[in-house]
Amino acid sequence: MDDFYIISIYAGVYVPLIFAVLLALIYPVAGGKAARVLGMTAASVSALASLAVWYGFLKLHSGSPNFAFTSDIADFLPALGVNGISVPFFALAGVVGFAAVYWACISDIKSVKAYMILLLFMQGGLMGVFASTNLLWIYMFHEFALVPTFVATCVWGGAGKRMAAMQMAVYLTLGALVSLVGIIALVVFSGSDGFGIGEIASALKSVELNASLQGWIFALLLFGLGTLVSLFPFYTWAPRGYSAAPTSFSMLHAGVLKKFGLYLLFQVCAPMLPAGLSEWVWCLAVLALFNVLYIGLVTMAQRDLKMMVSYSSVAHMGLCFLGLCSTSILGVGGALILMFGHGLSVALLFMLSNAVVNRTGQWDMRQMGGLYKKTPVLAAFFIAAIFASIGLPGFANFWGELSILVSLWNFSPAICALAALGLIISAIYGLRAVAWVFMGTPSEPLRRDFDSISDLSLRERFPAFVLIAALAFAGFFPWTIAEPVNANLSAQAVYNQSK
Amino acid sequence: MDVELYSILLLPLCSAAIIALFLRSSKWGGATVSVTSAGIALAMAVAAMLSDAKIEAFESRHVLFSLGDFSMNFGVLFDPAAMNMLFVVCFVGFLIHVFSVGYMDKDPCKGRFFAGMSFFMFSMTGLVLSSNLFMMFVFWELVGFSSYALIAHYADTEAARAASKKAFIVNRVGDVGFLLGIIFCQAKFGTTSFSELSQILSQNPSQASTLMGLLLLCGFLGKSAQFPLQVWLPDAMAGPTPVSALIHAATMVAAGVFMLVRLSAVGMLAPDVLDTVAILCALMAFFAGLWALGQNDIKKILAYSTLAHLGLMGVGVSLGYDLAMYHLTMHAFFKATLFLVAGSIIHACCHEQDIYKMGGLFRRMPLTSFVGLLASLSIIAIPYFSGYYSKEAILAASFGKAHITGAVFDQIVFWLVMGAALLTPIYMGRLFFNVFLGKPNSEKAANAKESGIFMILPLLVLGIYSLAGGWSFAYDIFWLDGKMDGLLPSAATQFVGNMLEVHMPALESVQGAGLLAKLALSLTVLGLLAAYFLYGRNRGYDTLQRNVPILYDALKQHGWFDSLYDWYVAKVQQRFAVLLATFADMFLIELLFVRGIGAFCAVIGYGIKGLHVCSANSQVRWFAAGALLLFLLFVAF
Repeated sequence: MDDFYIISIYAGVYVPLIFAVLLALIYPVAGGKAARVLGMTAASVSALASLAVWYGFLKLHSGSPNFAFTSDIADFLPALGVNGISVPFFALAGVVGFAAVYWACISDIKSVKAYMILLLFMQGGLMGVFASTNLLWIYMFHEFALVPTFVATCVWGGAGKRMAAMQMAVYLTLGALVSLVGIIALVVFSGSDGFGIGEIASALKSVELNASLQGWIFALLLFGLGTLVSLFPFYTWAPRGYSAAPTSFSMLHAGVLKKFGLYLLFQVCAPMLPAGLSEWVWCLAVLALFNVLYIGLVTMAQRDLKMMVSYSSVAHMGLCFLGLCSTSILGVGGALILMFGHGLSVALLFMLSNAVVNRTGQWDMRQMGGLYKKTPVLAAFFIAAIFASIGLPGFANFWGELSILVSLWNFSPAICALAALGLIISAIYGLRAVAWVFMGTPSEPLRRDFDSISDLSLRERFPAFVLIAALAFAGFFPWTIAEPVNANLSAQAVYNQSK
Repeated sequence: MDVELYSILLLPLCSAAIIALFLRSSKWGGATVSVTSAGIALAMAVAAMLSDAKIEAFESRHVLFSLGDFSMNFGVLFDPAAMNMLFVVCFVGFLIHVFSVGYMDKDPCKGRFFAGMSFFMFSMTGLVLSSNLFMMFVFWELVGFSSYALIAHYADTEAARAASKKAFIVNRVGDVGFLLGIIFCQAKFGTTSFSELSQILSQNPSQASTLMGLLLLCGFLGKSAQFPLQVWLPDAMAGPTPVSALIHAATMVAAGVFMLVRLSAVGMLAPDVLDTVAILCALMAFFAGLWALGQNDIKKILAYSTLAHLGLMGVGVSLGYDLAMYHLTMHAFFKATLFLVAGSIIHACCHEQDIYKMGGLFRRMPLTSFVGLLASLSIIAIPYFSGYYSKEAILAASFGKAHITGAVFDQIVFWLVMGAALLTPIYMGRLFFNVFLGKPNSEKAANAKESGIFMILPLLVLGIYSLAGGWSFAYDIFWLDGKMDGLLPSAATQFVGNMLEVHMPALESVQGAGLLAKLALSLTVLGLLAAYFLYGRNRGYDTLQRNVPILYDALKQHGWFDSLYDWYVAKVQQRFAVLLATFADMFLIELLFVRGIGAFCAVIGYGIKGLHVCSANSQVRWFAAGALLLFLLFVAF
């Protein structure tokens, strides 16, 4: 039975990459329609394969802490496999990737062939990140997914695209490089023969890294990965970059790729460098609180719809970092659930913001208003997405936030109370956006063309529905994420210290 | 039992989903599905209560997910307190659903409305049946969302746009405290299940922590709109009137009281916490009564009256939680009735809500007006009407406590409650005389006609309960082999009834209790007379507003809380946010830090570039300088 799921993993990772290459090969003869068909096919295969793997993992290996569905077909190919932490994110990459490619297919895009090639490369890279069992390959896949974002922002981006792409490239390359140094240091000092996560872990059983060395390596990784996840104060690339990037790339980057840093932190860094983590944990807590409160307040001051969504995504990353502070299964598990939910909700928000802007021709939320009369379905989706992201029960994000806050109380009640203030802040900016965009009466600039505004078409509804359904599914059945995550985290000594 | 309870819970959710997905634009589909689901839920709830007259408590749980040693349980607890509340929610909820069919007949967005109502029924039932605090919090947030969505029903009006946002955010402020309290409880006791907490605390009552109680109290202050979070409730009247009746009068706002009753019953609330509840709520009961006199909108007057009565329930919690539950039940009947009467009038008067533009409606809408009279007599506590029994019990308990302890604090609470008892007939009289008696003061009122059958039937039923609902508790009336206690199922009355049997004799034996009853009654009569002389005779304007405008404006400002909060939001919070966004984010980090590093590198690079001029002269100069440097180094070492 495992064979089917092994093939699914390969399909999930390689089909987008192969289709991208195929599209590049037939570039001169292919038309826009061929690009769309190829893109949709690849994204659908990828999404279905990833869901199959999730299902298979839950059915066959849900209680196991190890990598499952592993295989070594050839040495030069990356070793693939999933474990309890990575499998929900493999599925997340599949679902969000599907929505992003779908949205690209129904949007009006110049030179759609090139756009689709980049998007498929990114999608393949993302799937690879969460399906690799080898640190070097995880890193390589991440770079694979990262580079298309810069190019796409430079070519298809919105206002301020050059500066944003530049800033993003510098920040993210720097962050990735520093974390690469950290990864290499970890591997070298552990005395492991290779970069495989299992290899390093078993090597570390016989070598005791001293605390100060762990502290140094952890600092490098925290700085590098923190930059990739827009930890305060290295976040400025994110809001500007996301606002400028074309929608599908914002969806994939904010929704999935950004989770790479946290994923590595939870999967590798914390279990392997426990002393390093406990040295830096207060620093991490304070910086993450800045993300929650300071960025939250900055989000409240935004008037531009896409900027608001981008900043809110930075603010939510703070809570994910806080999940690590208590170093408990509950906190990290909660952070993983929140990452999953946030990936879906922020992708949905970017997509719907794009739909709103397409209809109104404005970015400024105060220049809109009263849209719900013309676009009730769009309004319903938007409100659902906003409520998911501000943590309404019934959506995945709520369980994540709740678990993180419960775990934080054991770390420090004061930090828990401060982090909880983030719930109020997020409600303020979220509901204010809904009130400005959809409620009330249309503003002066909107009134002229108000009658010609149309609701979401059926094909536009489909990806939104997929994302909302995934959010609600994880909200109603949180065990589908919590069970594999719990099995994996329970096997890591660092998360089981009694407090 | 499990199956029945889960279907009571999930039926309305299915109804909401079906309406939202398929019946949004259907003319009658949404209403049919929604009313049917509410009806079946009521029938099943009553059947569950009648089936076996002696179920003490039923509990079941399922693990939703678990991480480490924390597991989230989804459980139902069907005990006497839940039965009482469940009956109120399902019964009043169903009648208001029926009423809505008539009230919303011309509304173009009926589907959305009924989907919201069904979703509310789902979340409220869930809240009532929750067996632990985390689950209660989940449904607590969901009722908050339904309230938001339904207040925003007329989203194109400025009032609804602001009010929906305000309601959710003010509630969130309270919810954060509530959540922290729940987390504290989980950390301290390792469980939040009511039955387990009750076991732990009954063995060792001193474990109840004041801080935990105060944090949990925040949730009550938000949801039940008490000091200082009361500002959202009057604004929430921007929603359709059935919503105001169901959510913002009878059930959801009483959820805060229900939560306190639950916690109080397991012994979670320390005496200090109860004292805090008592003084905050007594103040609210008194001041909300005063502020009601500064409003001309019929729904706003009723909203302030709801604030006052929620305050009274809060005082009840501090005196003995059964009293709170007692008044909650009676209040649900008569306040829902009053709101529906208001709805019937507003519908007949083409959405006119100013009481000074109404008048003379007794002749034009006799049935509505008659029910309105019943409910008004009930709320001002005329003997033998429902409201009388519960209010009298709270007054007596408050008097008894002040009498026994003799503390100034308790005296203050008692006199504030007495003040509230005097104010109720004044504002209700003002409303009644101007709306129903005299002659119509506007075209719309003159053309008003009695409402249709969908609105009248629920009104009549609720009117009967406003009159006779209290008899079930006060007297021994047993029907159907004792399965029905008067108009309510026995299962629903046992929670309050059993406790009252213990408490009542003590209350009646306090010295001066008989005198108190007479005093309270004479205050009511006095209040009515005052209302008649001040506001009677249907002048078409407010006497106070015309003669003492300063006083009227002061009442209208309801304590300047709104002005204070608006000032804080606009002038402090938003300015601080903008300051952070411009100065810290744009200037310090983006410009100085990020671009600064870029500029720094650029300047250095430019300087170094200047040194690398490609000419023979510069090559020679560099060569000479290098040779000199090497020579010096050589000499030095």
